[in-house]
Amino acid sequence: MNKRFLKNSLLSAVALILTGFSFLNGQPSVKSDAIDVTDKMPVYGHWRNFTMKDGLPSDHVYCVRIDGDRVLAGTHDGLAVYENGKWKAYTTKDGLPHNGVVSIDVSETTGDVWLGTLGGLSRWSGGKFENFTQLNSGMPNDLVYCVICDGKDVWVATAGGAGHYDTSTRQWEIFTEKNAPMHEPWTYGVSAGDGKIFIAAWGGGVIEYTKKTKQFKDYTDPDGEMEIDLLPDDGIVHDITTATTWGAGYLWASTYFGLSSYDGTHWKGYFKEHCGLASNFINFVRAEGPVVFICSDNGLSSTNGKSWITYKKNDNDSNGKAIISNFSRDDDKTAYKTTREIPMSPSIAHNFVIGVDADKDVLWVATEKGVSRGELMK
Amino acid sequence: MNRFRATIVFYLIMATGSLFIISCRRNSTEGTIIITRTSGKVLNLSFSSADSRKIILRSDIVEVEMGKPEASPKLLTSSFYSARSPEISNDGLFMIFAGQKKEGDTWQIWDTDLGNLKTRQLTKLKEDCTDPAYLPLGRFLFTSHSASDSLKSNESIFTSNIDGTDQKRITYNPAIYRTSHVLSDGRILTIGVQKFPETGDQKFMIMRPDGTKSELFYKGSEGTVLNGPGFETNNGRIIFIESEKSKPGKGNLITVSYNRPMHSQLNLTSEIEGDFRAVFPQPSGKLLVSYRKTETDRYALYEFDTESKSLGKPIFKSNDFDVLEVVDAVKHIRPRKLPSEVNAVIKTGLIMCQDVNITNEITKIPLVLNKKILKVEIMGTDSSMGTFKPSADGSFYLKVVANKPFQIRTLDEEGKVIRKCDWIWLRPNERRGCVGCHEDQDIVPDNRIPLAVKKASVGIPVHVNKIKDKMIDTE
Amino acid sequence: MKISTIVIRLSGIILVLALLIYFPGRKWARAHVNEKTATTDHPLLCTSCHLYIQKTGLIANLVNARYMSPINLTVSGDGKRLYVVAQESNALLIVDSESKKVINKIGVGNQPHSVILSKDGQKAYVSNQWSDNVFVIDLSAGRVTDTLKTGNGPAGLALSADGKALYVVNSFSSDVTVIDLQSKEEINRITAGNNPTGAKLSPDGKFLFVTSRRTVNVPYGEPLSSELTVINDSSRRISEYRKIESAYMMENVAFTPNGDLGFVTLIRPKNYVPSIQVEQGWMMTHGFGVFQPGKGGSVNELLIDEPNSFYSDPFGIAITPDGKKAFISSAGTDYITVIDIDSVRALINGSTPEVRKLYSNNLGISSRYIIKRIHTGSNPKGIALSPDGKLLYVAEMLDDNIGVISTESLQKVSSIDLGGPRRITVARKGRRLFNNSSHTFQNQYCCYTCHPDMHEDGLVYNMSGKDMGRNVTNTMSLRDISETAPFKWSGTNLTVYKQDGMRFSTFLTRTESFSYKDLDALTSYILTGIKNPPNLQYNPNGELTEAQLRGKKIFERTKDSYGNEIPEANRCITCHTPPYYTNSKMSYVQTLAATDDSILFDTPHLNDIYASAPYLHDGRAATLEEIWTKYGKNDKHGVINDMTKIQLNDLIEYLKSLRSPQYEYEDLKKNHAKN
Repeated sequence: MNKRFLKNSLLSAVALILTGFSFLNGQPSVKSDAIDVTDKMPVYGHWRNFTMKDGLPSDHVYCVRIDGDRVLAGTHDGLAVYENGKWKAYTTKDGLPHNGVVSIDVSETTGDVWLGTLGGLSRWSGGKFENFTQLNSGMPNDLVYCVICDGKDVWVATAGGAGHYDTSTRQWEIFTEKNAPMHEPWTYGVSAGDGKIFIAAWGGGVIEYTKKTKQFKDYTDPDGEMEIDLLPDDGIVHDITTATTWGAGYLWASTYFGLSSYDGTHWKGYFKEHCGLASNFINFVRAEGPVVFICSDNGLSSTNGKSWITYKKNDNDSNGKAIISNFSRDDDKTAYKTTREIPMSPSIAHNFVIGVDADKDVLWVATEKGVSRGELMK
Repeated sequence: MNRFRATIVFYLIMATGSLFIISCRRNSTEGTIIITRTSGKVLNLSFSSADSRKIILRSDIVEVEMGKPEASPKLLTSSFYSARSPEISNDGLFMIFAGQKKEGDTWQIWDTDLGNLKTRQLTKLKEDCTDPAYLPLGRFLFTSHSASDSLKSNESIFTSNIDGTDQKRITYNPAIYRTSHVLSDGRILTIGVQKFPETGDQKFMIMRPDGTKSELFYKGSEGTVLNGPGFETNNGRIIFIESEKSKPGKGNLITVSYNRPMHSQLNLTSEIEGDFRAVFPQPSGKLLVSYRKTETDRYALYEFDTESKSLGKPIFKSNDFDVLEVVDAVKHIRPRKLPSEVNAVIKTGLIMCQDVNITNEITKIPLVLNKKILKVEIMGTDSSMGTFKPSADGSFYLKVVANKPFQIRTLDEEGKVIRKCDWIWLRPNERRGCVGCHEDQDIVPDNRIPLAVKKASVGIPVHVNKIKDKMIDTE
Repeated sequence: MKISTIVIRLSGIILVLALLIYFPGRKWARAHVNEKTATTDHPLLCTSCHLYIQKTGLIANLVNARYMSPINLTVSGDGKRLYVVAQESNALLIVDSESKKVINKIGVGNQPHSVILSKDGQKAYVSNQWSDNVFVIDLSAGRVTDTLKTGNGPAGLALSADGKALYVVNSFSSDVTVIDLQSKEEINRITAGNNPTGAKLSPDGKFLFVTSRRTVNVPYGEPLSSELTVINDSSRRISEYRKIESAYMMENVAFTPNGDLGFVTLIRPKNYVPSIQVEQGWMMTHGFGVFQPGKGGSVNELLIDEPNSFYSDPFGIAITPDGKKAFISSAGTDYITVIDIDSVRALINGSTPEVRKLYSNNLGISSRYIIKRIHTGSNPKGIALSPDGKLLYVAEMLDDNIGVISTESLQKVSSIDLGGPRRITVARKGRRLFNNSSHTFQNQYCCYTCHPDMHEDGLVYNMSGKDMGRNVTNTMSLRDISETAPFKWSGTNLTVYKQDGMRFSTFLTRTESFSYKDLDALTSYILTGIKNPPNLQYNPNGELTEAQLRGKKIFERTKDSYGNEIPEANRCITCHTPPYYTNSKMSYVQTLAATDDSILFDTPHLNDIYASAPYLHDGRAATLEEIWTKYGKNDKHGVINDMTKIQLNDLIEYLKSLRSPQYEYEDLKKNHAKN
């Protein structure tokens, strides 16, 4: 058993290095007071970027989460909390199980902050870190790539499988290739919606778990091709999924080879070649109602399935732009057009985007070179 | 007829049996008071004197009755040349005392059945045996000379079965002990005076009946002396007589709380002129006291009201005698019989100090922390038994040869003594601890594992070869 | 033949027969008693075993009795009624405070713990600790009107400031259930400190403070602390976990009326200090915490003990409406300690934090703020003041009385008999001994102190057998142990008679050992009167979950995952044999530490093992998982390394489900009746 854990851990670590900052995050639910749900896509600007100079423990920011009046950012060197205009850092010295904080979620009922780190899961509440590891609890593995709160359940996607912790009964239930249709236990993302849990499984596409029936269903790439999507919209675009998210009746799944959406009947694929997507190498995706934010290695995109907005930073200076385009594959599979480019000064902190969170009129973005805060432009 | 005879035989047997049982019952002396009296001139005995054990005055023990101050008392030690230090067993039926059978004899311990005044000798030592007290369940204690000691001046407390068997010495420091009494918690409250290298102050010491966990119970302010045993009152206090060295003829009734004796002193007689010589608490809460107003008066027996702090009428008064000691011949609660961890097979004891930096000063405000302590030296009566560095947290852990007196000294970087404690000893297999170098009993240890106990204990005295450099690095 | 001759000859024959029977009979009896008690000195009393330790049947029914055992109480707004939780009788007693009579007895759930009244005083809420629910009682109708489902082990209760929500402190599952009183549904579950109990809303109505009894689980040697859980009443979320350092067993909390200070009862244990003496508080000290309720406010700890006298097991705390006096019940010594709050305030305000830290280890400082000690009946637990603050009511748990104390004269003025059985059974006497510190030197602690609720306190003690710093010992539970001999981790004590005999007094209580009569009583209570709670969290009705069923298979398996035979000695079930999950034998599972003497360990019983963290003889495993993930790598404590994490989780879920056979039997009966 321990050997297996070790193997998984090593595999995870290798993958971590190979993929740069490809830690993924998930978001289960749609905020009722989220952004405008009309066809009008929200555009964010007036960016303000934060780095170590501003108090972040590291510029490598893996994830970001808005929690009421404060913002939580997971970095390579600890958790950073932005409150009252100041950043405060928390590290293992304060009780974190590991300084690499790669995923954050906040329980809507209890307000507890759950942190996925490279050394275990942590419940941060009332100033205290309560840590769960593969040694002291039923947790599958200490490399926690994604954590989400779903009612009283806390779901994790780890290098040793996915699982959930019932905060009421204090029981763990974990899923690996042994008891779920996974290719292997390595999971990157998890999200919740429509009474289901969607696990982004490395090489296994999306694993759907219906909570009521406790039944699994897996969605894999029908063509099985690693490099290209042979038949458009025949299913998920790739088996190596990096994140899932659910919003407004749609499941979104990101891969390193494009984006997919699923309405319960049909899958659709999205590639940079055919739409306003910044890159096919997608680290993370989060839906806020009908709008989904896509974190790629070459900028941040958002879409409602028709309109696209991509935020990119210039290579040589701190400025950049928001590229707005409209596209409807139903109308014309090759045509999409940029309708407008809005210059941004400054732009987002970096084009390697790993995490995002939106709330009302602000958007927070986690990048390789700091965290960015954008305001909704009227 | 046969049936009649059988009936007669039966009743005869029953009657004889009843008589036998009745004869076994001892007369109770309930309601009587027992005093030690002397007709000689009373001196101001000082316990700090090495000669104090020698009873200078000839005295006897008598029984007096309440309400009959002029009545002639009943002599309880008629067959003794001199007797003193009476104490009543918890069932109220026996009296233990120190007695001298004939002039020039050694003092030995005796007990008397108060019902029939039959006396038995409990000790038969070559040396004087004095200051007896009952221990629970068939044992007693007394003070005698410790013949085996190199320091000839010291005396120790011994315990023994009531039949004189199984005598055990329980104190091992160069000191004398006086007027011991067993508290209801089972411990011995005694007056100890250190005798080496110089005579120290009188202190009430307290220890378990096996001589373990000996510690300071009460020490008066500078210049005061203790004049007799401490007894428990019914309101949780200890009562005794204390006087100032400068005013030897003015013994006061002092009470301290059992719960916190070092900081609860109350003088009941500061407003009363005259000298209190002895005190004994009654179940009613009132005290029996021996008192005289002036030096020309005889010490008489009175009742003392602690509420009004006033003397009542005399219970016993005589122009020919002074009342030296008093006890109430009543049943009282048997002290707890404390278990003993002493194991004679084991020749050492263990002592652990949590932090040598904690001193008396640390209990005071503002906080004073002594950071200079570099070494700790264990000093024997003849020579040093070893020097070592305490652990980083100030703790040390020693395995010391049992039944040998030693002092713990803290030294600065130049080897100068910063602080030293009184002579202490460990009984075989005793394990004891101290929070730091302090006399105050208020401090409890902090809840942490002392670093010193994470390693083996330091043996004391250290091996002969190592004594040469006297250093043991415990780090 | 003459009658006298006949009498004499007959007498002779009887005498000879008596002698013939007496000596061998006595010899046999001695051997029998020695065997049954594992001692050589216990008196030849048949009653010791044949009457007093019978758990079921006619004799047990005749010998034992069911008492009231009041644990907590509250007073009506007009002061005319007392509502008393009779824990042993599963009842809420309504007492007329003027006539001092019980006027109604309302049956409630299993092992009720606390009671509070609704804002209008029309309803009472009673937490049923062993039923996992709260009963709502209509006081005018005198009946239970609703049952509110809670978490595991509901204890302390509090209403939200608006009276619309009920906070229920779940003492076993260590969380707080928030119930919407309109929908009667749980609307939130908030994680609390370890083993929480008491709850009180701050006077400004902004925050709920919840005490906890067990410490934060830390490795042996790490500084201990317990948590005061602070919940924001408006958001119903955690505000903070306030650390109360070096303390545990925080039973209850109270506030001054103006809310400037909060008080909690607590114990400051000395489990890390080698247990070489009792004198000067080397084992336990007892006191209270004083805290400023505002976020980040100071927390100070002060003792109620004195250098030669200890006031063990502080439980209840109440503060007079004028904010001048605080009362603390010491359940182990039958005293109420009266504290002058202004003196406490002055002491805190007049000292630096550094000095205040020293105060917490000072036995003398109590003389500065303790006004009085008031003797009570046996085992004073919950206390409550009359609305005018003139009377203090004390639940004298093991006297079945409510003591009434005047807060002006500071004397006990009367007593209210709750109507429990008049006779004191041997087991009841044993329970009093268990809960009373008089059998420890200077009243420093009693059995209950380290075995709260007759369980264990979660601490690992530096018991220093032969040497200091060696043989650290994880406290074991005393619940339902009658069939689990031998006792102690070393298994050296085959019976409770031996366990609590002379060595117990020499090395633990350090005062006179129990008399044989007391020992019989204590044994009777321990063997017959201490039950495990029903384990409703992990096994509510005997029907195991799928994971637990899978775990059971693993527990009982004879082959590993690769099909290899597991040696019999290395199967879980070999040593942990049902129904107590111990084979009562000594084993070696390669857990011996360098600081342990070379011994085998008694196989521990496993029922309700979920509630006994930390694990293993020295408490090195913080959780059940760690027994194997950290300390079972060599497969000596059962074969485990062939298992997946899922299988290990299943095994642990099964272990958590284990419960006393009594409940298995009860559920079997229920199911049988159903069918």
